[in-house]
Amino acid sequence: MKTIVITGTRKGIGQALAQHYLGEGWRVAGCSRGEASIKHVNYRHFELDVSDENAVVAMARTLHSDYGQVEALLNNAGIASMNHALLTPASTVNRILQTNVLGTFLFCREMAKLMRRTKTGRIVNFTTVAHPLNLEGEAIYAASKAAVESLTRILARELAELRITVNAIGPTPIETDLIRGVPQAKMDALIARQAIQRLGEVRDVINAVDFYLREESNFITGQVLYLGGVC
Amino acid sequence: MPDRHAIEALILDAVRLLAEDFELNALKSPTTHSPLYGEGGALDSMALVNLIADVEDALTEKFGVSVTLADEKAMSARHSPYRSVAALVDAVIERMPS
Ligand SMILES: NC(=O)c1ccc[n+]([C@@H]2O[C@H](COP(=O)([O-])OP(=O)(O)OC[C@H]3O[C@@H](n4cnc5c(N)ncnc54)[C@H](OP(=O)(O)O)[C@@H]3O)[C@@H](O)[C@H]2O)c1
Repeated sequence: MKTIVITGTRKGIGQALAQHYLGEGWRVAGCSRGEASIKHVNYRHFELDVSDENAVVAMARTLHSDYGQVEALLNNAGIASMNHALLTPASTVNRILQTNVLGTFLFCREMAKLMRRTKTGRIVNFTTVAHPLNLEGEAIYAASKAAVESLTRILARELAELRITVNAIGPTPIETDLIRGVPQAKMDALIARQAIQRLGEVRDVINAVDFYLREESNFITGQVLYLGGVC
Repeated sequence: MPDRHAIEALILDAVRLLAEDFELNALKSPTTHSPLYGEGGALDSMALVNLIADVEDALTEKFGVSVTLADEKAMSARHSPYRSVAALVDAVIERMPS
């Protein structure tokens, strides 16, 4: 049975991704700071903060001893803060960078070690259209995802020899807790900048992730795919 | 806790297996003096990454200890702990949980 690691599986997109891949016959190793919300024989939950290096290393060691290897990683855990830059405290900046950048990096590093021998490893990172659209009010969130995109491109090169592909997906707004606080007028203005003007749905994300995970996608790496026709 | 001899044997095994995988003739029969990475060493950076990960895995599997070799100390050391088998043995011993 193939193992996929998905971060941030307690709710939102991560939870839906976990359920999808369980349905497709994968073993899913998920994590979040909170307790598991999924009950399934092939689901295993690790309660951890993705930016806690020791906890991530311990998770990787457990996966190594119990399953031997990991075939795929979805770095979905992420947080946002919509605020004018002049009203953003340093503690918020730290929290966002820790989760989105450090967390993504630590999982790439530890899980790539568990993918070394499979010669078909797949890593998918999560960015956002807030970066290419230079959205006001999202300076730190967008900057953190710009870092994720840069990591994606460079790791694609560094891990190519191990036959691990590293790509990213950039969703448009999708109704989850992440965007609950954004005022309607702002959301409408944002959607108006997409080529295809509607809210995104989890199945749009699943479709793109499925594409990256396919065996035939072994020649595709270092790419960032934005949904909704944003470029 | 494993002694120096046991750690040395574990690292030599890891180097031997890696040399086969990567077809590194110079390291197919390694000794403690074999250079690994840097001056005179046969490992390129990808082979080194694999060796470090193999050694960390083997330490967990054989002795149940969790050692992280790629830490800040290793990156900033004047003499790289990856330069030879003997240096790597020292680095593991130094990082063994007490
Ligand atoms: N929804 C959108 O409109 C949208 C648009 C573009 C990109 N994205 C990206 O898609 C990803 C998922 O977003 P979402 O909408 O599903 O968000 P969400 O509903 O807020 O869920 C976030 C998930 O991540 C976990 N998480 C947050 N911080 C964590 C940490 N430090 N350590 C471990 N787990 C953590 C949360 O669980 P705990 O709270 O239990 O830790 C939760 O399961 C994010 O990377 C986001 O940037 C979302």
